[in-house]
Amino acid sequence: MSEKLIMKEKIINIIIEIASESGWDILTNLNDDTVLLESGLDSLGFATLVARLEEELLYDPFSMMDEPVYPRTLGEFVKIYEQYAS
Amino acid sequence: MKIVLVTGATRGLGLAVARQCISDGYKVVAVGRTMTEELTFLMQQYPDHIVFERYDFSDTAGIHSLAVQITKKYGRPWGLVNNAAIGRDGVLATLHERDIAELIKINIEAPVLLTKYILRSMLMNRGGRIINVSSIIASTGFNGLSVYGATKAALAGFTKSLAREVGKAGITVNTLAPGYMETEMTSALQGDKLESIKRRSPLGHLATVEDAAYAVSYLLSEKSFSVTGTTITVDAGSSC
Ligand SMILES: NC(=O)c1ccc[n+]([C@@H]2O[C@H](COP(=O)([O-])OP(=O)(O)OC[C@H]3O[C@@H](n4cnc5c(N)ncnc54)[C@H](OP(=O)(O)O)[C@@H]3O)[C@@H](O)[C@H]2O)c1
Repeated sequence: MSEKLIMKEKIINIIIEIASESGWDILTNLNDDTVLLESGLDSLGFATLVARLEEELLYDPFSMMDEPVYPRTLGEFVKIYEQYAS
Repeated sequence: MKIVLVTGATRGLGLAVARQCISDGYKVVAVGRTMTEELTFLMQQYPDHIVFERYDFSDTAGIHSLAVQITKKYGRPWGLVNNAAIGRDGVLATLHERDIAELIKINIEAPVLLTKYILRSMLMNRGGRIINVSSIIASTGFNGLSVYGATKAALAGFTKSLAREVGKAGITVNTLAPGYMETEMTSALQGDKLESIKRRSPLGHLATVEDAAYAVSYLLSEKSFSVTGTTITVDAGSSC
């Protein structure tokens, strides 16, 4: 499996976990074009996702970047994590 | 053991909060720049209940890694007490720009950044307590403390919106507003001014750091789970 797929799957799995812990309904077909804030995850869920990923991947791309970037879609979000993977 | 992070726990109110937290059964991560005799003594007395992490909050760029390190070493914190601050006074017209910038950095930027990163642990735990130490000066004003007062009012404002942001995750955010307490920060205020503060207080005395630490103890406890976005004033009634 390519690195890319692994990262995307990891992120989707965490999204599903967070949603089930919080009792949220999320879209079943999460894909690159899914708009994050329309996926069923609210801004707090999104913050939890970044926190969980930092604990798991040991980095937080958003605090590493010089200019702020706010990803809109799942594809953009995954790309940022791939970019900063060491 | 639940972890509580207390900034500026080397002396004054922070040290009293650390003491109170130990007696409430928490493990304290005390943050500050300089080790003091009192803190050393507390660490010797309760080696399993308190650790010291040296940090200078003027290095705001390192706060993210400080938070990551603390979490890695001690686990996800339950509570954060943003207490460290500087109390530089001086009338605005002559207060140096560098001092204004420093007040804003240490008293606002640093606690905001630390909260941003410690909050992550609380989001994952779906629970936690954040206490921002403000001051009655934030709402009453005091000659010579306009910038300090502005930083303390900023923290109270920070509390209110953050409480709304994180409430659904079971995290409470509150402000503690102490009145005058005798610590190093206030050591310059003596004599007549001090007497007049005492005289004007309805209770006829001043609140102590221990009094303020009791309020922190309540806000950190499970019992305060329905209290968020508010200010608890501990000032022996001075500002009422
Ligand atoms: N005393 C009062 O009457 C009063 C009234 C209302 C509100 N307050 C508030 O209560 C809180 C505690 O005040 P206090 O009277 O206990 O003050 P204090 O005796 O001067 O203690 C301040 C604490 O903050 C820490 N600190 C200051 N600058 C720091 C830096 N750059 N990096 C890391 N730590 C730093 C100090 O530790 P190191 O020096 O070791 O770094 C110390 O532990 C403050 O937020 C203050 O605004 C105090």
